[in-house]
Amino acid sequence: MSAIEIKNLTRDYGGGKGIFDVSFQVNKGEVFGFLGPNGAGKTTTIRHLMGFIKNKSGVCTINGMDCWKESAKIQNTLGYIPGEINFFDDMTGTEFLAFIAKYRGLTDLERQKELLERFELDPKGKIRKMSKGMKQKIGIVTAFMHNPDILILDEPTSGLDPLMQNRFIELVAEEKKKGKTILLSSHIFEEVEKTCDRIGIIRAGKLMTVDLVETLRERHMHTYTVTLDTPEEAAAFAKDFDGTATGVKATVASKQSLENIFMNYYGGNSDDQ
Amino acid sequence: MINKTLYLREMKKSLKMLLIFAMILTMYVAIIISMYDPKMMETLDNFYEIMPEVMSAVGMTAGANSLIGFMVSYLYGFILLVFPMVFAILRGNGLIAKYTDSGAMAVLVASPVKRKSIVITQLSVLISGVLLLIGYATGLEFVVANMQFPGELAAGELLKLNLGLLALQLFIAGICFLSSCLFSETKYSIAFGAGIPALMYILQMLANVGEKAEKIKYITFFTLFDANGIVAGDAGAFTGSVVLLVGAVVMFAAGVEIFSRKDLCV
Repeated sequence: MSAIEIKNLTRDYGGGKGIFDVSFQVNKGEVFGFLGPNGAGKTTTIRHLMGFIKNKSGVCTINGMDCWKESAKIQNTLGYIPGEINFFDDMTGTEFLAFIAKYRGLTDLERQKELLERFELDPKGKIRKMSKGMKQKIGIVTAFMHNPDILILDEPTSGLDPLMQNRFIELVAEEKKKGKTILLSSHIFEEVEKTCDRIGIIRAGKLMTVDLVETLRERHMHTYTVTLDTPEEAAAFAKDFDGTATGVKATVASKQSLENIFMNYYGGNSDDQ
Repeated sequence: MINKTLYLREMKKSLKMLLIFAMILTMYVAIIISMYDPKMMETLDNFYEIMPEVMSAVGMTAGANSLIGFMVSYLYGFILLVFPMVFAILRGNGLIAKYTDSGAMAVLVASPVKRKSIVITQLSVLISGVLLLIGYATGLEFVVANMQFPGELAAGELLKLNLGLLALQLFIAGICFLSSCLFSETKYSIAFGAGIPALMYILQMLANVGEKAEKIKYITFFTLFDANGIVAGDAGAFTGSVVLLVGAVVMFAAGVEIFSRKDLCV
């Protein structure tokens, strides 16, 4: 059964802006990557899922519930990281986390503590004075702290340093193991490639393709199998180029060609905005 | 229906502002009531003769011959109209539109709390603030008047007068709240939420000045609050207050509905 379902969703803001006839679903326990350049319609789609804006045509459901009509009910088991983080500037991080837990009616703060430690976040300072990365970390903690079954993450790693980006990817992998359903929007291919099962590519409001990561990779990436003199050399070669080795043979894939995949879909046209 | 956690946070934010306004009111009310002196009235009447336009613009008319009449002239034309109004303007905008504009509203909406209960909570905070302010003013006037002029101020009349004032202030809060729910940008929320009440007040000042401009009173809602009429027990003044109260309720309800249904681009 699909946890998230979008069917023929259209939202025309005029002037070519908006989303047009977008359909896809995310299965239970699946990590779905939602890729597209800035202004492609990722956030507009997510706003529909969050019940922030009403669907004018098309269907938009989470666990079979209408995203607009039953948004409060859906939110019980949903975690969300907004694309642009804005909290209550007048509060300290600690105050904000305490507020949001109480506001949601959350009593068990064990997970919150664990997440703060995982991301090495000390939330004592005023939110107003925090760096983008720190605010992002607070956003991550608030999205995961109530142990939701569905996660909607809008460019979740923006502002994080590479170390923290990796920790985040680990977190997503762990949540996936627990059977969580995750929709992760991004414009960074590697992040999506590492974590997602399937990828949907959106451009200028239209969903271009939805496919398994492997399929996309197979279709567009070139892989080479080379034979080397010794198994040691093969192993070293595979290690250096991020491939696999069997005996004296090493198989590697061209790295930047995944970007090319996206360039194919994104295209060189200037109508992305 | 109300989210207690949110209510307490917002009341805490109101508190600082309420304390400042309470201090200003305390100062003004105490000074003005202490100025009441049937002999002093002559001096003030002299002022009125020297600059009648200025005095009547802010509702200060000559010839008040009782403490409550004196208070109506010197407190209910400016101080008790403008200060609660400024409070409603600032908080009205801050409770909804400011969050929608900054994007912080996403935090409140992305939770199991219904939109309707979010907006009703914010409305309760606004109404609570206005109630506290008018309630405080009433108590203050009563205490100061009784300390300085025991027995001169009828509690019943004061209560009636301030219930009328409350209806007016809730009406103003209604304008601010509605505009805060309607607009997603602070600049528009303030333009309407502050602009309309301020413009109406200025028109009221013009209408007070006199004869030719008197007709202006028909286009400002401040006319519906007839302080002297309320004290005198006029039926028309009572109706005016009821109209204000009904208007306030209608605007509150409209704001709640609009916010519950609007698209939030946060």
